[in-house]
Amino acid sequence: MIVPLTHLIILAGILFSLGLICVLIWRSNIIMMLIGIEIMLNAAMLLFVAGSNHWGLADGQVFALMIIAMTSAEVSLALAMVVYLHRRKKTVNVDDLRELKD
Amino acid sequence: MKTALTLIILFPLLGAIFNVLLGRLFPRRAVELTACAVVWGSFAAALAAAANYNGPTVVEIGSWLSSFTLQAGITVYLDPLSLSLCLMITFVCGLIHLYSIGYMEDDPCYVRYFALINLFVGAMLILVLAENLPLLYLGWEGVGFCSYALIGFWFNKTKNATAGRKAFIVTRIGDIGFGIAIVWLFKLFDTLSITQVNQMGHSLPMGVITALGLLMLVGAMGKSAQAPLMVWLPDAMAGPTPVSAQIHAATMVTAGVYLLMRMFPLIGLSTVVVAAIAVTGTLTALYGATCAMAERDLKRILAYSTISQIGYMMLGVGSGAITAATFHLLIHAFFKALLFLGAGCIITAMHHEQDIFRMGGLRRSLPAVFWPFLLGALCLAGLPLTGGFFSKDSILAAAWAHGGILYSTLYLVGMFTVLLTAFYTFRMMFIVFGDRGTKTPPAPVQPLPGVMTLILLPLALLGLAGGLLNIPAYLGHGLLDGFMAPLNGAGEHLSHGVELALQGVASLVSLSGLGFAWWYYGGKRRKARLSLAEQPPTGAVAFLQAGWYVDALYNLIFIRPYKYLAAILWERVDEGVLDDSLDRMAVGLGRTGQSLGRWGGGRVSLYMLSLVAGATLMIGWFAWEVL
Repeated sequence: MIVPLTHLIILAGILFSLGLICVLIWRSNIIMMLIGIEIMLNAAMLLFVAGSNHWGLADGQVFALMIIAMTSAEVSLALAMVVYLHRRKKTVNVDDLRELKD
Repeated sequence: MKTALTLIILFPLLGAIFNVLLGRLFPRRAVELTACAVVWGSFAAALAAAANYNGPTVVEIGSWLSSFTLQAGITVYLDPLSLSLCLMITFVCGLIHLYSIGYMEDDPCYVRYFALINLFVGAMLILVLAENLPLLYLGWEGVGFCSYALIGFWFNKTKNATAGRKAFIVTRIGDIGFGIAIVWLFKLFDTLSITQVNQMGHSLPMGVITALGLLMLVGAMGKSAQAPLMVWLPDAMAGPTPVSAQIHAATMVTAGVYLLMRMFPLIGLSTVVVAAIAVTGTLTALYGATCAMAERDLKRILAYSTISQIGYMMLGVGSGAITAATFHLLIHAFFKALLFLGAGCIITAMHHEQDIFRMGGLRRSLPAVFWPFLLGALCLAGLPLTGGFFSKDSILAAAWAHGGILYSTLYLVGMFTVLLTAFYTFRMMFIVFGDRGTKTPPAPVQPLPGVMTLILLPLALLGLAGGLLNIPAYLGHGLLDGFMAPLNGAGEHLSHGVELALQGVASLVSLSGLGFAWWYYGGKRRKARLSLAEQPPTGAVAFLQAGWYVDALYNLIFIRPYKYLAAILWERVDEGVLDDSLDRMAVGLGRTGQSLGRWGGGRVSLYMLSLVAGATLMIGWFAWEVL
């Protein structure tokens, strides 16, 4: 075991926090928000892999593969929507998109 | 017997229901005819009951209130007292109904009038015939309601509507006492049958009987306009005159006296109650007579005379002389109905002028009213050999026979009131009918419907000859005395000599009252008094005209504090505390909602922040739990 589990958990925590902060504060651009979500997902994935490695079970790695697949689908879909949105609204500012409220 | 008793009560009620529901669909004559026919039908039924009468009977007509131990059916009790009252009520009310046809000739609201007046008679008959207290109370409140509706009959004028409300509220004050007495009696005896309650009085401690008697006296005070609850009666003159006649003569104010007579076997056991009844009656008699001496309004004079005469009846009850009180009640019904109906004739003829000082000379212009009215006045004044003389004298004799300092004083006050009564009665007569000293011919009078003057005759004859109902013992056997003997309390019996002497004194006193009235108002001096009456009243006259300022006193000690308290409760407590706190709560909730609503403003970043904050809190909570 090269890297101890605690380090991995701490790294994953830091990554997750960075992603979260990115989602919370970068309101002016929805693409940055998606990137933040992506970072958070990667932090979770790292935690899965670390756990799988630590307990010697394959479940975590299987799950990480599934998350990779899901994330790529999600990102391609979301980016397509962002492009479409930008064409309609001429903006990518999150706070300007409030039609659902009305 | 059962049929007759049922019909006595049912006839007026059916008439009232008919007039209420269908009166408008029928021509005027039909309404008038129904209203009169049902009362005379009731009289016929009462006659039939009298013909078949042999001893007191209890007849159950139907069931009414019945739960657990409370059994109060529609049960009637026919005994000498209720029978004689029934005959009187139906007869006098029948005449008043006939008179009403003439009096209400031009009134567009005749349907309401006849319906109410029929209901009035029905309620009074229920009251008189009731065998149990709840049924009696039904009639009691029935007459209260009808008097309210009829006193305020012309409710377009504020004054009339206020008079109706005043009558209703003041009598309700008395009813509180009566209501408490009924509930208490039920708690004591588990029965409300009058005949049973009256027999069980001996098993109670004296204090309880005294309290019950005083509570019933309070009820009677309200209904019969006795001091201190007499203030409603003079104002009750706002109603149509036949209604006043009916209230005063037959249906309303005698109810209180009747209640005391009915419950006398129970409450008569307590000497305190009996004395309280006698004192109340005497004081009220004096009060009414003094006020009537200064009053200018013809109908209010008669109202005060009613208060005074009812006071005599209370004195009779308080002296244990139920027969004498009933005797006076009957005779009073005849001559007071006569006087009121006569006054109605006078007022109609004078174009609705009620101030006696604006009248005069009616002896010649209204002879058909003058002669019956004179007979009524003679009866009221208690001049010798009229019915009123014998009945009033029998009450005073009973007070005298009772003995003791209290009753002797009451006798003297009563005798003084006889003097006042004769004085004020003939003051009224001289001013209204006399014309000496005025040069101008009397004002032209409005012609009266024939039925109005015709009705006065039978009443005048009955009032005059009413003494025959119960002739004094030295002349033979009194009809009422024999009939009602079982009802009387333990009264002393006077020797014939004493009775003759008392009657002699009473005749002298009433004749001297007449003399005083002549000396002050008669002949040529009438003109001087008329000019004197133009000036505003001063001193004693003002005091008496204001009814001893009792109204003002009540206004000061009850009505004003009440209004003040009501204003506080309304403006400070209701609007200030209750309404305001609710208002503030509503405003606070609204504001909270608004500020919460701002959260849901559609800003994704805010939602996200809330989500993270919530998740952090939950995770923190779980971590706290685990650690």
